[in-house]
Amino acid sequence: MTRPFSGRKDGLSLSEALPDRSLFMLVAMMGFLAALALAGASGARALSARWSGGAAQLLTIQVPEADTPLSTPNGTSTTRVQAVLADLASLPDGAQVHRLTPPELARLLEPWLGETDNTALPLPAIIRVRLPPDTSVPDTLEQTLNAHVPGTIVEHNARWGERLRALANSLLACAGLALLSVGGIATMITGLATRTGLATRKDIIKTLHGLGASDSYIAGRFAWRTATLGFGGGLSGTLAACVPLLLLLQMAAPFASAPLATTERLLPVDWQALANTIPPDMALALALLPFVAAFICWFTTQVMVRLWLLRLP
Amino acid sequence: MIHLDNVSWRRGKKDSAPVLAHLSFMVPQGGFRWLLGPSGAGKSSLLSLLHIENLPTDGQMTILGKTVAQEEKRAALVRLRQRIGMVHQDYQLMPDLSVADNVALPLRLQNRPEDEIQDEVHAILKWVGLGSRTDVPANRLSGGEQQRTAIARAIIHRPGLILADEPTNALEESQSCRLLDMFAELSAMGTTVVVATHNESLVRRLERPFLFLEHGRLVDDGGEQP
Repeated sequence: MTRPFSGRKDGLSLSEALPDRSLFMLVAMMGFLAALALAGASGARALSARWSGGAAQLLTIQVPEADTPLSTPNGTSTTRVQAVLADLASLPDGAQVHRLTPPELARLLEPWLGETDNTALPLPAIIRVRLPPDTSVPDTLEQTLNAHVPGTIVEHNARWGERLRALANSLLACAGLALLSVGGIATMITGLATRTGLATRKDIIKTLHGLGASDSYIAGRFAWRTATLGFGGGLSGTLAACVPLLLLLQMAAPFASAPLATTERLLPVDWQALANTIPPDMALALALLPFVAAFICWFTTQVMVRLWLLRLP
Repeated sequence: MIHLDNVSWRRGKKDSAPVLAHLSFMVPQGGFRWLLGPSGAGKSSLLSLLHIENLPTDGQMTILGKTVAQEEKRAALVRLRQRIGMVHQDYQLMPDLSVADNVALPLRLQNRPEDEIQDEVHAILKWVGLGSRTDVPANRLSGGEQQRTAIARAIIHRPGLILADEPTNALEESQSCRLLDMFAELSAMGTTVVVATHNESLVRRLERPFLFLEHGRLVDDGGEQP
């Protein structure tokens, strides 16, 4: 015996027609993959921004025979490097110009020359220029410098920055494609589950239709069920992906702008501190993932059921 | 009110033979019609058409003042279907639901308040003699009980049109008579009733106009011309 008025109000019994295990588990797996793809996309985007924003604004200038005197047009005497520094004073406001000191130069060359005394070597002077954001190097800078100080070499890191940015953008596109694929598979899985549910409840749906149930009512009942399963699956998949993501974050710490204390241990000492380093856009995307999964399930089911109902007048 | 003007219905392709052909008849509001004819004459198909489970392929059909056509908006058909009560030959109950939940369905689909639904359901189940069986799942009912549940579900929302396909098949003689009295009462109260049956004694007991179908064509329209 049951209660006269049960909670199963329309006989669709969708918990049996669309059981928890299959759709839930498959969406959880898709959620897991999507979370990893999102992390990849977020990382690629951060690298792209960093490389384009950082390296592109850097300029390295080499001045051979730096301390050799140079006569200027107005007759005053100066050295080659001072002449270059004087020319660099015309760069946009906010540009930081720094001539590397002998110890800095030695540290820079240490991988090639070792810790030897290199004062006897005819090393050029190295000037590092950091341009303010949203400014660019004047096109005529290299010509001007070479006209005033022949032999000056200007290395613009933007060329490398462009290449690295292209690489990061291709990684970003790959991550986007992976996300699209995961979304497509989730749509197909939901469609198949909905079709199975419709097949098993065909007669009951026809009866409900005959009793005056609208398309939106029937589609809404199915869609609510798949959306609930999709949300649960998406949430489980995202939570499951958090552990490997945090480990990846730990491993990627040396490449981040604010590196964590240590990367020697596989497991982090302070999980809380590690979690705090998750970029805000990635955290937001991960938080939205279960809702997106629920929406994909809801929308797919709505379309499938409404199309199926069109065969009934 | 039902008004059919040269209505035909084909199953499938347009060049296939019509299941129902050139039907023209009218049943006024509050009218009662027996729907008679041999097996395979098209009685169930006509009831399905009147219940808007199928749409006419030719001709014009008006149900409860609303003209039903192929191009009709689905929402309008849903609203119209909610004003029709149908008793199917195979009952079409929800097997897992209790008797009360089955009977409550049409009201729930109209979003009536739950306390009102429960009052209505208890009253009508008492009336059809199932007052003590409210909590029994439909799949545990006898044939007669299932039929009475289906009848209760068809009339609980006080439809303007009641269609019944062999509604007394599984009923005892006394219950059949009681059901007939109920249909006559509903008809007197302004509900249009169409009952398809093979039971001649039933037809003799309640003498009302009839529609006689043969091979999908109307042989006798009961004297009412559209």
